[in-house]
Amino acid sequence: MSIKVEVFSTPGCSHCDRARDSLKTIAEAFGEHQVTWRDVNLLDELDYAVKLGVLTPPSMAIDGELVFAKLPSAAQLREALTRRLDRQRT
Amino acid sequence: MTIGKLAKLAEVSADTIRFYEDERLLMPANKTEAGYRLYDEDAVRRLDFIKHAQHCGMTLSEIRQLLELKADDSSCCSDVRSLAIRKKLQLEQKIRAMQAMSQALSELIGICTAEDQPLDDCPILAALESSMANQHRDSH
Repeated sequence: MSIKVEVFSTPGCSHCDRARDSLKTIAEAFGEHQVTWRDVNLLDELDYAVKLGVLTPPSMAIDGELVFAKLPSAAQLREALTRRLDRQRT
Repeated sequence: MTIGKLAKLAEVSADTIRFYEDERLLMPANKTEAGYRLYDEDAVRRLDFIKHAQHCGMTLSEIRQLLELKADDSSCCSDVRSLAIRKKLQLEQKIRAMQAMSQALSELIGICTAEDQPLDDCPILAALESSMANQHRDSH
């Protein structure tokens, strides 16, 4: 089963767009069979964002759990995904 | 204009205006030789701004941030929008928490059917005591 990465942001945030695109590249490098990526417009899915506890967008959830209240660095994301994939294998 | 006149125009108290000065939200434009505060027309607009922002649930600290953004030529509309979105998320979280509290109270009210029971038999107090005992046990 692939890991689901969701990034909560609002349209019109150019800073968010740049940061998100570079993280997306990292996630996509794992391959879609391992990591899927979803951009969430939090104004469209406010209830879901609130349910996960998003308070300071842009934020990132992994498998329905708010893991990064603020977007992680490239290294942090790579590490978090690798750790989860390792856990799935064992 | 004096603080009294400003207070009347903006429909707030003079104490509120002095408090806003302490909080660096509204500074007098000038002072008389005797030290009385003097304000210009901008102060009325600023007080209206503060009132409207409070109406949207903004804290004084958040209002200060908004006013700083407003005065900063390098900030843009999306900065203000981000702050408003963060505030909305906070409010939605609070609403959810309060709905959960309300639901918990509904459940307690639901278990109490008799109104004339002695206090010792009050099911609401009993339920609260047992949930407190459970919490106490869980924390150990």
